[in-house]
Amino acid sequence: MHYNLVLLKVLKMKKLKDSKRGISTTTIAGTIILIVIIAVAALYVLELPPFTRPVSKALIMGTTDSVESAIDPAQAYDYFGWEILQNTGCTLIEVEPGSSAEADDYNPALATQWTTSTDLKIWTFTLRQGVLFGDGTEFNATHVKYSFDRNMGIASPDGPQLNMEYDAIIDNVEVVSKYVVRFNLRIPFGPFLGLLACQASSIVNPEYSGGWKTNWWDADSWSTDDVVWFANGTDARTRNTMDLGPYRLANWTRVAGKDYEMRLEANPNYWNRAAEGGLPKTEEVIIRFYADATALRLAIEAGDIDVAFRHITATDIEDLKDNPNLHVWQGTGAAIQYMIFQEDHVPGLPQLNDAKIRRALAACLDRPEVCETVFLGQASPLYSMIPTGMLGRPEGVPGPFAVLGDANYTYAKSLLADLGYNETNKLEIELWYETSGHYPSSPDQAELYKSQFEASNVTTVTLQSADWPSYRINRNEGVMHVFLYGWYPDYIDPDNYAFLYWAPWLGHHYIGHNATNNYSAMKAAYDAARASTDETERISLYNELEGYAVEDCPVVPIWQGAAWAVTKPNIKGVYLDITQNWRIWLLYEE
Amino acid sequence: MGLRTYIITRILLTLPMIMLLLSIVFLIIRVMPGDPVLLHFEKKASEEAMAEMRRILGLDKPLYIQYFEYLVGLLRGDLGKSMQDFSPISDQIFSAFPATLELAISSTLVAVIVGVLLGVKASQSYNSLWDHSIRTLGIAVYATPIFFLGMVLQLVFAINLRMLPANGRFPPFLLEPNGLTLQLGIQTPDLVPIVLWFVPIGFASLAICITVLKRKRLRFWPNGLIAVLSTLLVGWVICMYLAWYFPSARTLHIKTGLYTVDSLMEGSPLKFVESIRYLFLPSITLGLVLSGVFTRLTRSNMLETLRLDFVTAARARGLKEGAVIYGYALRNAFLPILTMMGLQFATLLGGAILTETTFSWPGLGRYLVDRINFRDYTAIQGAVVYFAVIVAAVNLIIDLLYAFLDPRIRL
Repeated sequence: MHYNLVLLKVLKMKKLKDSKRGISTTTIAGTIILIVIIAVAALYVLELPPFTRPVSKALIMGTTDSVESAIDPAQAYDYFGWEILQNTGCTLIEVEPGSSAEADDYNPALATQWTTSTDLKIWTFTLRQGVLFGDGTEFNATHVKYSFDRNMGIASPDGPQLNMEYDAIIDNVEVVSKYVVRFNLRIPFGPFLGLLACQASSIVNPEYSGGWKTNWWDADSWSTDDVVWFANGTDARTRNTMDLGPYRLANWTRVAGKDYEMRLEANPNYWNRAAEGGLPKTEEVIIRFYADATALRLAIEAGDIDVAFRHITATDIEDLKDNPNLHVWQGTGAAIQYMIFQEDHVPGLPQLNDAKIRRALAACLDRPEVCETVFLGQASPLYSMIPTGMLGRPEGVPGPFAVLGDANYTYAKSLLADLGYNETNKLEIELWYETSGHYPSSPDQAELYKSQFEASNVTTVTLQSADWPSYRINRNEGVMHVFLYGWYPDYIDPDNYAFLYWAPWLGHHYIGHNATNNYSAMKAAYDAARASTDETERISLYNELEGYAVEDCPVVPIWQGAAWAVTKPNIKGVYLDITQNWRIWLLYEE
Repeated sequence: MGLRTYIITRILLTLPMIMLLLSIVFLIIRVMPGDPVLLHFEKKASEEAMAEMRRILGLDKPLYIQYFEYLVGLLRGDLGKSMQDFSPISDQIFSAFPATLELAISSTLVAVIVGVLLGVKASQSYNSLWDHSIRTLGIAVYATPIFFLGMVLQLVFAINLRMLPANGRFPPFLLEPNGLTLQLGIQTPDLVPIVLWFVPIGFASLAICITVLKRKRLRFWPNGLIAVLSTLLVGWVICMYLAWYFPSARTLHIKTGLYTVDSLMEGSPLKFVESIRYLFLPSITLGLVLSGVFTRLTRSNMLETLRLDFVTAARARGLKEGAVIYGYALRNAFLPILTMMGLQFATLLGGAILTETTFSWPGLGRYLVDRINFRDYTAIQGAVVYFAVIVAAVNLIIDLLYAFLDPRIRL
């Protein structure tokens, strides 16, 4: 046979064989992969709607905050811990949402009415009847006594009721009858209602709060169970002591000791459940935690969450205001930033124990410039340690520190000249700021204060920084020469700000080196103001106190922040008032 | 040296390396300013309270005793307890590690696939516009800061196109409500609805297929198999859709902690797609940044290999170009790439810290940063030792693979 013919035959046979074999393996593999992709895609598309908007109508909230201590009123000191306390717990009285928390803004909650003795040392509360804990026990006066005794006596590493000194105010709590409870105070205390409305005064469920030890450093008895801490893998219910609030903590997931997700579910036993067409307004709320402000901003912009609350930066807020898919809520802020001068001697640096130096430095500050350049107008200049919007500090009336002026270099120079400082012999100071984002834009602020101080031509500033943990330690040790600090109120009353002039935990900043000895006069005015409920008298006492403070300048107020929340446009019920309370139970989707 | 001796030597060499690293970390964090005891107290605590806390944390003992005790604990497999919240470090690392592992594996895949494909393409079109562009791209992505690339991708895909989520690991509604507890094994209640629907539909489709095949007198392989598979897949889609209405199917139960694996174990492609959707941007970010190295390495190795005689011989035998490149040349050029994969794994874990922060990804990187802020000595030591063990283990595995791939090593 001809060679070509043979080849043709072979080829034909091969073709025949191929057709018998059917499709090649590549085609089979390709087809299977294609089918899998199509099937997965089809399934995904089919099931997409329930993902993006579940049937439960839960609201998703994002935050950069997290629980820093515990959800236990005897230990919680961070903003977010208090936020959860407030939404899952309940106090005897509450502040009217949207109000300025003045005397007539307190509403009944677990207490229906109250009276006080004329010397303001005995406060009697009648309690609401028929309020049930989760286990069906009826709430009564013994629970109030238990909660306050526990708060004051608990073995916590920081001591009972951190920074709040309940035991210095409350002598004892007395059960008068099943529904009447009496607080006997050690001192006459005007802002007592404010104290009772704050989250640290939440009533705990004895079943979950598990008693307390009074001596935590007693080596044999010490355990972390004294305060109700987060315990991994256990029921969310046993991780918090709350049982009477609008929500229950249904889930609290932490990954490697860091908050990951929280789920709040409506509490069927909430005493005010029937109010306003049903409280809470949203039955289920999921809280997601983000690493930083940028991540939170991206999440709300991408539509991953419905509400973003704390923290979004000033520049981001400006951007988001123009976004038609979002609504930016602005409210009164109660957070303040101030500057502290260390009077105790810091080695190698001039001692700041002369009030003239402190006043001169205070006069160099240009508050409007800080608010405009660093905060793009989202903070307002503060001329009193008691923020605007609070008792005696109405809008538009600058506080006592305004007399020192802003960028008042002539005055600063004249004060420093008396002490021998001039353009050749400059005052050398160290200005400290924190770098962990604990306060907004600290590095930018510090740069600006440095330039403001140096613009006087008689001061040289060296900037120093530390991350938040080291900063806190430096604060306690009193090694920072001049430093920035902030305050967020525990209870909404000037009382909770005025003490900052001599707060002992601010290091050794005001130890009475000053010859005028304004320290004791200030303390006297402060004590008199807290022993009064007469608003006119209290305003005048706080003005007197701050009058002395302007002379001494142990601390200098700089700015007051605004509160911000960003939501989708259909989210309603946002209240950002002076209390800084974040009332999740009033949020709803329209 | 035999393979066994080789493995044993490698493992024995790893131990002093980890010990050295541990000792350095142990000393450095104690020299760092900041004190875990002080960080326990918000306000200024009494000397008595601080001394007691120091005693509880074991910091009152001399440094060498602390070191010795830590080593003894380590030998028992006890990484100690967190100095911040007193929970066992091993639990914390165990809960954060799957997230990092998932990210590491997926970004390595991205890096190798993108890097090798681009490298091969560049070597094929040597000195052309393709080659120059790919080389420039390789340097550019390698030099790009991770957080910058991450944010650009978030802006484009999450915010402008709204295709992918910006942050996180999984949709909030789908996670098991009781948290990320690790349970092994599939829970039966989740399988019930799926099996209930799947079994009858599966059998029905099988029956139809067999009937059709018999009537048409077609062979079972492969036509029948394709038919059966596709019917089963369609059945599965229907089942999963129906199963959605059973509440237990709506949440992801965490078993391995790798959400992609967990969702597959549950047999839910839709949870799988969701986990991939969340994983996509972080792994692309980290993978692209690392791919630059692989691109350049593949290109240079391929250029050398393509000049060798066996490649010319393969071409002369009339093999397709694809088979020559991927079947012959790349296989030979792959050994250095494999070594680089091992070396890059350490970079990858470092990069994971930035990626995890950018994407709020709850892994070990974020854990480490967080714990450094609290000066949580035991947690930092634990995490670093863990990282070291992983890097050492990966390098060991790569070395072993090397030995298998290249018989000369075994000699």
